[in-house]
Amino acid sequence: MSTTPVIEVERLNLKYGDFHAVKDLTFEVRPGELYALLGTNGAGKTSTLEAVEGHRTPSSGTVRVFGHSPGDRRAVRPRMGIMLQESGFSPDLTVRESVGLIGRLTRRTDDVGRVIDIVGLTGKAGTLVSQLSGGEKRRLDFATAVYGTPELIFLDEPTTGLDIQSRDHLWQAVDRLRENGSTVVLTTHYLEEAQQRADRIGLMHQGVFHREGTVTELTRTLPSVIKFTLDGPVPALPLAATVGADGAVLVETFGLQKDLNLLLAWAQDNAVDLRDLSAGPTRLDDVFRAIES
Amino acid sequence: MFAIARTELTQIFRNRLVLVTSFIMPVAVSAFFIYRHDAFASFASLGYIAAIVMFTVGAFGLYTTTVTTLASRRQNLFLKRLRSTAESDAGILSGLILPATVIAAVQVAGILTVFGVVAGAPSNVPLLVVAVIAVIAMMIGLALATAGVTNSPEHAQVTTLPVSLGVIAVASWVGITGTEELTMLKRLLPGGAATELVTNAWNGGVALSDSLILLAPTFAWVVVAVSFAHRMFRWEPRR
Repeated sequence: MSTTPVIEVERLNLKYGDFHAVKDLTFEVRPGELYALLGTNGAGKTSTLEAVEGHRTPSSGTVRVFGHSPGDRRAVRPRMGIMLQESGFSPDLTVRESVGLIGRLTRRTDDVGRVIDIVGLTGKAGTLVSQLSGGEKRRLDFATAVYGTPELIFLDEPTTGLDIQSRDHLWQAVDRLRENGSTVVLTTHYLEEAQQRADRIGLMHQGVFHREGTVTELTRTLPSVIKFTLDGPVPALPLAATVGADGAVLVETFGLQKDLNLLLAWAQDNAVDLRDLSAGPTRLDDVFRAIES
Repeated sequence: MFAIARTELTQIFRNRLVLVTSFIMPVAVSAFFIYRHDAFASFASLGYIAAIVMFTVGAFGLYTTTVTTLASRRQNLFLKRLRSTAESDAGILSGLILPATVIAAVQVAGILTVFGVVAGAPSNVPLLVVAVIAVIAMMIGLALATAGVTNSPEHAQVTTLPVSLGVIAVASWVGITGTEELTMLKRLLPGGAATELVTNAWNGGVALSDSLILLAPTFAWVVVAVSFAHRMFRWEPRR
């Protein structure tokens, strides 16, 4: 597989009037990886995604997709599938007509029935879009994005409004596409999805990248937390700790296993009951909250 | 482009409201003009009836339908969806407006053919064809521009009124009163020169060179309409 980046973004700036939505953003997406662009509301991730997709012209900076400007639709679009954040289908067309139309316009070839089957809408193939539920419209959107197995797929909030079963089906379909070598760019508010599936993550806040890397690289920048409560006054602990507003004792550590062992041994030796004890590795949520604060 | 046009045609025939208000009503109005052509010819001319038929179809069958369609497709982000494909902007727009344009052209041709059979053939058919093409081009340009300031299909019921009623008013004023007085003003109004062109083409009796001059303001309005369209048309809803 080629190592040339599929997407190259260099010093991207996007402005809406006086509002500077994206500031000097630089990143690249490599072939075959799942790159998650995460951020708070208004962080600029959808604007960034739209610039990379070719829906928005950068105020400054450069964006290259497969070595081309994303505005060069003939060169780029046959190789990419786009799942928009909002539906964007004509209510008076059926599922089959919608997939057939968008599929044909992508210049890729595929079997409409096969694609509809992937998203579990075979029974609704002749149904007008106006009669679909919100979740079914998201699945239709996904169907148009994966029509013809594109090399690059943009998934903007793909699982919003989907039930658990539909989410599982969607991710299974994404896994199959990745096995075929497709590159995926994802934005989502479900951090656990990004944590489980992303090869690399870009965390955006107020238009800039705060951190970028693998899940491990991102989470190891913050300590893990051991949390418990004690009956009565807090005795002298073997580790540095703080007491939270709810009275819980918090121990922050970069050596979770070692410090947890130490704490449990101390509790055993001193017959201290560590109530509601919990300990876990740093999650993406924690990194997110740290950025927000 | 043709894939988009085919699905647009499907949608037109599935949407009874669009079908009735935009395509059946203009035909019904035109049929009334043809049926009472003697009465209308008594205070104007047969050429006036040809012009008013052309502008009725152009305003309601083509212009209003195009504005409503584009506003609707933009509002539900269908335009954005189409732009996420390999199709060019020109191909998308052409596909969206092609069915309404072809239907309007066929309507005008059919109605004027029937009118010619009933009331007598026009004097200069080629000139008439040029006038019809110019008016269709002007109405498409104005529709693209109007779609730029129209947020929804419901909003289109308001935003299309000035142009649709305006061009019919101009056609009636020019067709009924002629251009002996206020000549420059009447010819410079949108549809004014086209109305005179159609009237001359149908009635005859005017030197071809005098009619050809009218092509200048007629095509100038096409340029103005397309220029407005270029500046005002939006692909996505206002945020």
